[in-house]
Amino acid sequence: MKRFGAPSEQESGERAWEVVRAAYESREPIAWPRRHARPLVAGALVAAAVAAVLSPPGRSVVRSLRKAVGVENARTELFSLPARGRLLVSAPGGAWIVNADGSRRRLGAYRDAAFSPHGLFIAATKANELVALDPKGNMRWTLPRRSPRFPAWTGSRTDTRIAYLARGRLHVVGGDGNGDRLVDRASAVAPVWRPGPGYVIAYARGATTLVRDVVTGAVLLREGSDIPPRKLEWSSDGKLLLSFKPYATRVYDARGKVVAQDDPSDATFDRDAAFVPGTHRVLAVRAAGGGSDVFAFLDGRTVFKGTGVFRQLVFSPNGRWLLVTWPTANQWVFVRLGGARHIVGASRISAQFGGYPRVASWCCGR
Amino acid sequence: MAGSGRDERAWVRRAQAGSVSDFEALFRAHWGPAYRAAYLVVRDASAAEDIAQEAFLAAVRSLDRFDRRRPFGPWLHRIVVNRAIDWARARTLRPEAEAVDAAAPERPEHDEELLRELDGLSPEHRAVIVLRYLLEYTPGEIAELLELPRGTVNSRLRRGLDRLKERLE
Repeated sequence: MKRFGAPSEQESGERAWEVVRAAYESREPIAWPRRHARPLVAGALVAAAVAAVLSPPGRSVVRSLRKAVGVENARTELFSLPARGRLLVSAPGGAWIVNADGSRRRLGAYRDAAFSPHGLFIAATKANELVALDPKGNMRWTLPRRSPRFPAWTGSRTDTRIAYLARGRLHVVGGDGNGDRLVDRASAVAPVWRPGPGYVIAYARGATTLVRDVVTGAVLLREGSDIPPRKLEWSSDGKLLLSFKPYATRVYDARGKVVAQDDPSDATFDRDAAFVPGTHRVLAVRAAGGGSDVFAFLDGRTVFKGTGVFRQLVFSPNGRWLLVTWPTANQWVFVRLGGARHIVGASRISAQFGGYPRVASWCCGR
Repeated sequence: MAGSGRDERAWVRRAQAGSVSDFEALFRAHWGPAYRAAYLVVRDASAAEDIAQEAFLAAVRSLDRFDRRRPFGPWLHRIVVNRAIDWARARTLRPEAEAVDAAAPERPEHDEELLRELDGLSPEHRAVIVLRYLLEYTPGEIAELLELPRGTVNSRLRRGLDRLKERLE
């Protein structure tokens, strides 16, 4: 097999080289100081933050660094969100809502939580219950089920459905808690409803990603793989599906064609990826060595970089702000996308939620 | 063939700094193995070209973040083989009317029978055989590349070879 020569190897190589060279030449090699300045300062911020804890005089260093990179209002508390909408978060001690003005409300000891389509209600799970709540935490109905996980709510103002997993099965129940039915076997990956009309859901079964119309039962897409995705996400228009895996992320179109992908190099892997709302652009978090960076799939451009672990990317509803969760710095960092660079940080996140939280969504309000 | 590890690290370093000639050296060193590997899995010259080209485009996109301490080849081959498996599976699910390979006559005769029989294997089995016997990775390295348990790689190799043997006999 070593002696094997594939057909047209030379010619195909020449054709491919023209394309690859054009891509190489059109990339924007960023000069060292610019490429590294902001990431280094971001990393320095963490180091400085640690220094600040260890020595009070270090606080002036932190302030000057924050000023130097435009990290304004790098607050010790989360006082407000930089864009409209509300955050729904799951922390070790329960689920919380964070309002735009920064006020927080603990909903209760729930494991997972999801907003209804217009943010008027919340579906949440306990050890043996799926529940619907209002934003004040008042319970509207409950559905006893063993180990429910990953609620996802979709629909219009008059007709909604909640998908959830329970004991390796995907279920769908009406938004009023009635009509629960089993859809299929499913792996422990959060199912996601396709935006737009109808009730079409993407979920994982084993290592296969499936897209199914839950009304007709028709499977619209089936993509096999060796390992299951960690996360599925639709673009806002429902035309593209992101299948996130740390070592092989794919974006599929409606016919299952891969339209974008990321395959991190050996020493690196991705921690999260998400569509920028209203676009087909994907940003991802790459972990490499002791640092993390947020970059764009399309051109590889780095959006934000720092030392330690970035865990999640969450976009504001209008797509103009990106929340990067940074557990090793115990911070949330809000990065404005497009226009003048603007970063707002909030620290001591664990103390505010009784443990470092996972953000379920940033909902409703453009 | 690919350059030495030192050459390769230097090419990557200088390509990261914007040297087209070093990036070209990297491309030239790796195009052949990448294209051949893709071809052996998908058995379609056009698809193999697309897959190998897309792998290099991914390399361009990730060049700034590439860890120079690591070899370039395994990273590229992982992309190529995974994409080739995806493509071959998709074709299995949505078979085309006729896969015409205009360049097929150029195929060396001595490999003809073996290659034909390779078509009878699943994409997953083809991939491990290509990685083992064309690109000469060890089973442990293949396990890492494809994120599979070592035992799965060994069993796919064994079954793939057994099936090839049966067919060739």
